[in-house]
Amino acid sequence: MKFDFAVLGATGEEGSIASRDLLNSGYSVLLCGRNPARIKNLLTNKKAKFSYVDLTNIKATAKTLKSSGARITLNCAELRLNIEAMKACLLAKMHYLDLGGLQEMTVKQYKLDKEFRKRNLIALLGCGSTPGISNVMAAYAVNQMDSVERIDLGFAWDSQPKTFILPYSFESIVYEVTTPSVIMKDGKLTKSKVCEFEGVKNFMKIGMQKTYCIVHSEVFTFYRYFRNKGLKDVHYWAGFPEHSFKVIETLIELGFSSKKPLKVNGNELVPVDFSREVLKNIERPKDYKEIEDVWVKVTGEKNGERRLIEIGCLVETIDGWEDYGSNVDTGMTISIMAQMILKGIIDGDEGIGVTAPEVVVPSKPFFHQLTKRGMKIYVDNKQFL
Amino acid sequence: MKTIGILGLGAIGRLIADDLFKTFDGEIILLGRDLKRLKQLAKRKKNVKIRYANVSDTKLLASAFRGIDVVIHAVHHEFNLNVMKACLKSKSHYVDLGGLFHYTKKQLKLNYQFKKANLTAVLGIGAAPGITNVLAKYGSSFLDKVENVEIKIGGKDQSTYKQTSPLSNTYSLQTIFEEFSWKPAIFTEGKLKFLEPISGREDYIFPGPVGVQKPQYTIHSEIATLPSSLHAKNVSFKIAFDDDFVNKIKMLKELGFLSEEKIKLKEKEFVIKFVSLGILKKLPNAIPDRINQYEIISVIVTGTKSGARKKIVLEAYVHGINETDDKDTAAPASIAAQMVANGMINKRGVFPPELIVPSKSFFNELAKRKIYIYLNKRHRQ
Repeated sequence: MKFDFAVLGATGEEGSIASRDLLNSGYSVLLCGRNPARIKNLLTNKKAKFSYVDLTNIKATAKTLKSSGARITLNCAELRLNIEAMKACLLAKMHYLDLGGLQEMTVKQYKLDKEFRKRNLIALLGCGSTPGISNVMAAYAVNQMDSVERIDLGFAWDSQPKTFILPYSFESIVYEVTTPSVIMKDGKLTKSKVCEFEGVKNFMKIGMQKTYCIVHSEVFTFYRYFRNKGLKDVHYWAGFPEHSFKVIETLIELGFSSKKPLKVNGNELVPVDFSREVLKNIERPKDYKEIEDVWVKVTGEKNGERRLIEIGCLVETIDGWEDYGSNVDTGMTISIMAQMILKGIIDGDEGIGVTAPEVVVPSKPFFHQLTKRGMKIYVDNKQFL
Repeated sequence: MKTIGILGLGAIGRLIADDLFKTFDGEIILLGRDLKRLKQLAKRKKNVKIRYANVSDTKLLASAFRGIDVVIHAVHHEFNLNVMKACLKSKSHYVDLGGLFHYTKKQLKLNYQFKKANLTAVLGIGAAPGITNVLAKYGSSFLDKVENVEIKIGGKDQSTYKQTSPLSNTYSLQTIFEEFSWKPAIFTEGKLKFLEPISGREDYIFPGPVGVQKPQYTIHSEIATLPSSLHAKNVSFKIAFDDDFVNKIKMLKELGFLSEEKIKLKEKEFVIKFVSLGILKKLPNAIPDRINQYEIISVIVTGTKSGARKKIVLEAYVHGINETDDKDTAAPASIAAQMVANGMINKRGVFPPELIVPSKSFFNELAKRKIYIYLNKRHRQ
C-alpha cells in the first residue's frame, strides 16, 4: 500500500492527533512509533498501518519511510530526535515537518538547509501551536505593516477542574523552564535569565495569569526572517496556570527531570524518561476541559503611523477530541501544513530547504483550516473570518 | 559474653550501633552487604566484628547469624519474615522496628515456632511502634478497663542548616511512601476499619515547643496489636509531618510516582515507586550546622477505674541537641535487645512490645538517653 503521509512519533499524543486529523481528511497514513497499543483506535482505519520505528537508527528509519511511498513525513517525536528524523528524510528523499526544536535544536536544524535544497525538498520547522500558529499569525500582522519594531508573543492556558495533566512534552517544558531564555533586544539575540517572572497578564477567556520569559524558537526565526523589516525586539511570554506550574517546579526540584542516568535494581534509566512515561499515564478526569490562548502582538508602522496589531488563536476542548484538550492546536496544525504541501499550496518542490511557517504558510487559507476545526482566530479582538 | 547483631546499617541501624557501642558490654556484630562501610564503622571499636549478610537470602542469612544471641533487624519491614525465619534456623532471638500493620500480622503467626525453638521475637520496638506500645500498656495499668487509646506524634525542627534538602524526610522514604499510599487502619467501636490515606489531618496542640501540628492517620502496627493486648474498644494512630513535605509526597502520589505498578522503559521493567525512591535518594542531604530537634510521642489512654472514668496522659519528650531525634527509634531497639540478651526479657514466642517489655526499666533506660516520660504532664520519677 502506498501512503500519502508518514508520521514519526505517531504513538505519542501529538502524533496521534496529527494522524487522526490526516485520516479524517481522507488520507492514508503510515503510523511510525514504538507502542502500537496506544493508537489501537487509529489502526481500525483501513487507511492506517503501524510500523515500528526507532528514530535513533537513521538508516532503518529512512528505509521504513521510503517503503511507505509517501512524499511527506510529519515528525511528532521528541524534539531531541529532530536531526535524526531530518537525516532519515534526506535519505528517503521526503519533505519534512516538525513541531519545533526550541532555540538550540532549531539552530542546529538550519545547518541542514543546503542538503534539503540540493534535493529539492522542504523542511518546515515548528508546525505546532507555538511555534506554528504563532508564526503564521505574526507573518499576517507583519505583512500589513511597512516596518516592524517589536513582536511580543506567547501562550496562556488553563483547565477545569484545576488538576495537573501534562500539557505537552515533559522534556520541552523542563528545557523551557530551566534554560536561560533568548530574547531579541535592540536588534541582537541576547541571553536572559532562566524562566524569569514577567508579571500578571489578562488573557481572553482565561483571565489573569502569571507569565514567564522562556526560550522559544520563534525568537530565532523572527530574527532571521523579519530583521529586514526593521524588527528590533522579540520577547516570548509563557503563561502556565498556577496548579500546573507548581507541579512542574516541584518535579524539577525533586530530581524527576534529571538527565543523569540512575541505576535501579541493576538496570539503568534516565529520570526524565521515567517521569515522562509516568506522567503520560495520568487520566483526564471526566468533564475535563482546557482552554488556550496563543497570542502575538506586533508593533510597527504603516504609512508613517504607528500601528499595533493584536492577533490570537483561542482553542477550547473540541467535541469528539476531549482526550486531547487544547493540545489539538499542535497536532492539527502540523496536519494542516502537511496537507498544504501535498496540495501544492506550499510548493515543497521549489528547493526551499529549511524554513519556517512565517515564510511559506499562507495565512488566510491556514486560518480557514483552523476555524474549520473549531479554533478561533481573533484580530484586534474581532473574530477573523 | 553475649552477642548482639545489627542487620542493616542505614540511618537507624547506625544509631542503634552507636547506642550499643556506648551501653552494651558484650560482643556486637555489624551485618550488611557493604563490608567496606561496615569496616569503617567498626574501626577502633572494642568487641565489634563485621559479617556479610543479605536480607533477601534466608539460607545465607542464617549462617551469617550463627552464634549471635539477638539479631536486631534494621532493614526495611518487607524482609521481616525472611529475617525471622533465618533467626529460627540460627537459634537467635529477634528484634525489629515495626511491620507497618500488615507485616506485623503475618509475623505474629510465627509465635508457635519461636516458642518451640525457645526463642523470643520482639516486634516493633522503635519510637512508634515501640515507645507508643509500652506507654499504652503503662497507661492501662492505672485502669480496670481500657476504652480508648489515642496515639499522636508531632515534632519540631529548630536546627540551623548550612544546606537544606528539597525533601527533608525524618525516616525511611519507602515507609513514608507506604504510609501515604496504604489505607490507615483504626480500631473503632471494637472493629477494624480502614480509612483513606492522608486523612484526618487536622490541627492538634502538642505541648511546647512542638505546638500546633496537623497529625494524620497512617497505617501503623500499633493498631494490629494494642486492641487485643489491652482489650480496648478504640485505638488510633496519627503522625504529623510539615505542610511542605505532605504537599510534595501527596503530589507525587497523585501523579502516580508512588505506584507499586511496573513500567516498561527501553524493554526493561521497573517498579514505579522504587524508581521514584532512587531519584529522591539522589537529592542533596541537609547539612546541619546545629541540630536542635524536638519530638513528642503522646499516648492518651482513657477508661474506668473503680467505676469512675479516668484519663491517663503519657508523653515521651525527645530533645535532640547535636544528635537527631531519631535516637528515639534506635534506642528502644538497643534497650530491648539488651534486655533479651541479659535475660530481663525471658518469655518465649513472638510478642508486641506491650506484652513483653517491662515498662519501668524501659523508661529508666530511655531517661539515661535523655528521652523523658511524663505522666499526666508530670515527669515520671
